[in-house]
Amino acid sequence: MVYEWQFGPVFRYLGLLWEGVLGTLALTGGALLLALPLGLMLALLRLGKLPVLARVAVFYIEFFRLSAAIVLLYWFYFAFPVLFNITLAPFHAALLAVGLQAAAFYAEVFRAGIQSVAAGQWEAARAIGMRRNQTLRWVILPQAIRNTLPILLARLVDLIKTSALAAVIAYPDVVYAAMRIASQTYRPIETFTVLGVGFFVVIFGLSQASRHLERSVAIAR
Amino acid sequence: MSHEWDFSFLITYSGVLAKALGSTLKLAIVCLAAGMLLGCVFAVARTSRSSALRFVGAAYVELFRNLPAIVLLFWCFYTIPLLTGIGNDRFLTAAVAFSLYAGAYFTEIFRSGINAVDAGQWLAGRALGFTPFALFRDIILPQAVKNMMPAIANETIEVVKLTTVAATVAYPELVYTAKLLSDTEYRPVEAYTAVEGVLLLALLPLAVLLFRLERTMRRTN
Repeated sequence: MVYEWQFGPVFRYLGLLWEGVLGTLALTGGALLLALPLGLMLALLRLGKLPVLARVAVFYIEFFRLSAAIVLLYWFYFAFPVLFNITLAPFHAALLAVGLQAAAFYAEVFRAGIQSVAAGQWEAARAIGMRRNQTLRWVILPQAIRNTLPILLARLVDLIKTSALAAVIAYPDVVYAAMRIASQTYRPIETFTVLGVGFFVVIFGLSQASRHLERSVAIAR
Repeated sequence: MSHEWDFSFLITYSGVLAKALGSTLKLAIVCLAAGMLLGCVFAVARTSRSSALRFVGAAYVELFRNLPAIVLLFWCFYTIPLLTGIGNDRFLTAAVAFSLYAGAYFTEIFRSGINAVDAGQWLAGRALGFTPFALFRDIILPQAVKNMMPAIANETIEVVKLTTVAATVAYPELVYTAKLLSDTEYRPVEAYTAVEGVLLLALLPLAVLLFRLERTMRRTN
């Protein structure tokens, strides 16, 4: 049996697919806005001088790193609203699940970045009379963030891949749009081929950018 | 917070849950074995002297690392029956998709592990008259495996988490079973909290192993 590929029906639904793309962008962007500051805070707590808070940060990071994203999505969509007697739109449930998990991964990236700055920088800043948080703000973090830029970008790739799972709680992202198009056109193979190619182009581009950035950061050092 | 916790239905369904955990582990073990095998084959290809083989290895890694697992899974779900004539087998679909996905990551782990072994080891082995195969097996591989252990433990955790995505094609693993139980008993809080707990407990030994391996690595380097 020779399969006859027909992409025509899929391309008639490009509008729906584009809405899905916007949904994916909104979720990824929102999760990033949540995860970056929270991740930085967790990293600072983990490296900080208060043992209790450092423990809390370690627990948070390990908990979310070991959790499967789908379980978190289901939990925040189906369990969390019942538990706290609220209603939660798929977008907000997905934002919490994906964003809180990404924060754990970003925390580890920031921690590695801060630890990669030479100890002499701390000592030098202290010698010229800077306080600990001044040193962090003006000396350590600028260097740490520059060093971690390629990894931050690589983690964005993982974040996009995780966001694609939000379709399981009926969040209208690009995967969910593809599911609808597949069932309306009876052309699932073509639909998911188009979806796969689209994802590949974006993610491959970001991976290459991350590698390129890695080389320029290494040169600057 | 007015929710009254009631886990009693989980005891009624403990047989179903045990079977679901078995399905999760079965899929994880098959994907790990197949993924490592693919990883070995393509790592050899990526480090080979032939530029054609190196290209094949690189193409494999880039193709499967730059796609979200759920997209790959759906694509396999619709395409495997078409290509092979085998009816929709949910286990087979998930096993093929996640083995290919994990294989790309294992390729990179094995490749960087082999590359991390000092080039002088190859030269010294050759000078002592080892055949290339014996040199690889007895000198390079043992050192490479030691370097790779933390990454392998980490990827093992990722593969177990990855198997939960198979719930989206109704493979009856833990998450899919939890969803069924939650829908029939109308106890989403307990069902999803339980599945999170079971998965965390299953991954905890691996996480402890990973922690120990990383500590040993830091000490020996």
